[in-house]
Amino acid sequence: MKKSQLAGYLFASPWVITFLVFWLFPLLFSLYLGFTDYKLLKPTYNWVGLNNFVALFSDSEFLDSLKNTFIFVIGTIPFTTVIALVFALLLNKNFPGRTLFRSAYFMPSITSMVVIALIFTNLYSRGGYLYMLADMIGLSPPENGFLLSNKTALFSVMAMDIWMSVGYYMLLFLAGLKSIPEELYEAAEVAGAGAFRKFFSITLPLLKPVTLFIIVINTIKSFQVFVEIFVMTKGRYDSATAVYFIYETGLSRFEFGYASAAAYILFLIIAVFSFAQFGLLKQRGMR
Amino acid sequence: MKKHIILSVTLLLAAVILSCSGGQKQDGAVTLEWWQFWTDPAIKPTIEKMVADYETANPNVKVNLTDLTWANGHEKIVVAFSSGTAPDIVELGSDWVAEFSSAGQLADITENVIKDTAQFNGWSAGTWDSRIFARPWILGTRILFINRSLLRQTALGENAIPINWDQLKEVCYAIDSLGKGIYGFGSNAAEKHRLYKKYLPFLFSADGRIVSRDGKYAVFASDRAYRALKLYKELSDSCSMIDTQRRLEDAFLDGKVGVIISGDWLLKRIRNENIDIDFVTTLIPGPKYPWKSFAGGEFLAISENSTNKAEAARFIEYITSAENQLLFCKANYTATPSSKVAAKDEFFRSDPNLQTFIMQLNMSQMVTPMPQWVYVEDIIEKALEEVLFNDAPAAETLYEANQKIKELIFKE
Repeated sequence: MKKSQLAGYLFASPWVITFLVFWLFPLLFSLYLGFTDYKLLKPTYNWVGLNNFVALFSDSEFLDSLKNTFIFVIGTIPFTTVIALVFALLLNKNFPGRTLFRSAYFMPSITSMVVIALIFTNLYSRGGYLYMLADMIGLSPPENGFLLSNKTALFSVMAMDIWMSVGYYMLLFLAGLKSIPEELYEAAEVAGAGAFRKFFSITLPLLKPVTLFIIVINTIKSFQVFVEIFVMTKGRYDSATAVYFIYETGLSRFEFGYASAAAYILFLIIAVFSFAQFGLLKQRGMR
Repeated sequence: MKKHIILSVTLLLAAVILSCSGGQKQDGAVTLEWWQFWTDPAIKPTIEKMVADYETANPNVKVNLTDLTWANGHEKIVVAFSSGTAPDIVELGSDWVAEFSSAGQLADITENVIKDTAQFNGWSAGTWDSRIFARPWILGTRILFINRSLLRQTALGENAIPINWDQLKEVCYAIDSLGKGIYGFGSNAAEKHRLYKKYLPFLFSADGRIVSRDGKYAVFASDRAYRALKLYKELSDSCSMIDTQRRLEDAFLDGKVGVIISGDWLLKRIRNENIDIDFVTTLIPGPKYPWKSFAGGEFLAISENSTNKAEAARFIEYITSAENQLLFCKANYTATPSSKVAAKDEFFRSDPNLQTFIMQLNMSQMVTPMPQWVYVEDIIEKALEEVLFNDAPAAETLYEANQKIKELIFKE
């Protein structure tokens, strides 16, 4: 090996070692644990084959958490994406105070999620502003607050998540809008195209790569929702999501084998969805 | 150059190995590692002084104190035990002793403590399979706090201290009807490890249980559990502020809640935050007269892997001695020492609120030690929340919870 090659390897080694020790090994080891009955306090553990995976698919707690995760994903992504796009289109125009609005919408994205979750916990509770507002406009909120009811807890967290995420995705859409050449709009105008025509024939097709990126990362993020649930409901009131289930099983009950199996099921679901989204959007010309 | 590098690496490795070894030194000096949860500035200096006094009296012993928090202390202890890096001495919550002792992680201290059993309360939670694995230190129970000035404003008058369930409802309703954003009762929600501790006093007062005394049978689905839950739900639905323990206490301190169930830490909060509040403490009312409350507490245990078990046993005997418990309680304004001798001190007798705690502790019950308690607690809390906040039918929900507990016991 040449001296220059050795230097290259040496420079790369901190990252490679970190990757191997802190990423690859835990990833593979947790896959192995998924096939064992490993509990942290038990001195020994056994290979149990697919038992954990089979048990998970008959575990009502896990199935409920998966159901809640899907509700979260399906219920937030379309809203977040559409609202972010609308805000981006509005803020892409020149008007006084535009920067202020941009900053205001982006602010939740740079605020700690725990802080936001705590504030919303307050707003949703009986006597909180959102609770009182809902009461005032005749929405008859749950008696003990939005977060203490099976019917509203998860949806309340989802609403907060949409509010919190919109600003970040809006910024991505704005960047996408800025990259669309102005000449295209001028040419369309010369050809007599109206605002809708320009949006559907120019803006939307040219925003497809950004849209794909937003949908994929938002899907992955939403499948992994945890902090909001942990802070606001502790997984109670029919709001536990898959990652919360994994946390409870792994770090509260210390059933690492079972938790690892659940984590790999979630991993597979996210992988399938991500690839499907890529495939679907590519088929429609989003390259 | 090469020699220097090899020598440096060797010395470094030797230093690392030596620094990791700890425990018994060649000259007979002993270093004890102690993990504990008392980090409040009101009590930490007292604990440090106790440790310093012990080290002075025993020059060959050094005690390293490590602070844990209730937020993640349990996880840290579990990881330490499973990785073989547990400290010599560890403070455990009463609910955790069975979990660790059944896993073989705690040293059997029966022979060390057998002489002391008559002098201390709380041994049941430190016992697993008829052997003692943890020494009771500071215990805790729950009592009723009543805002007397709110009670005075009701038609019942300030002397209407409830002694049974009907009177409790009457008082809570009367205070709640004062309006102006005032609630009769504080009902727990939205956090773990709290709600069940507020329901259990009513369950225990109705002579109900979660599992049989030997821990072999689930007995949660009972008429007693149903009656206790019906009472709690009635209070919760009709006249309660529903919130976390901290916020309920805040509201109590602000004069917004008339009656809450709490522990002795609230006495400290009252002293520090609103000394002028006119309140009274009383025993948890039972169906007919004051009866049982929920008890728990802090225990000291020795790791099975400790190489200094004898010295560790001597140290926890010292820390939990009547004198040191008294020092602790005075410094922290804690009401419930495990030492019966300490509990008789003038410090407790001269303070009616501390006295309420001492009396209640004698009329309290700990949960049956179970290695699977973390699951049982979760099952109970979920069942209670279903009934309280989602109007699930109480009898069916208790039955389902009981079935789950039964399955857990069967699995074990």
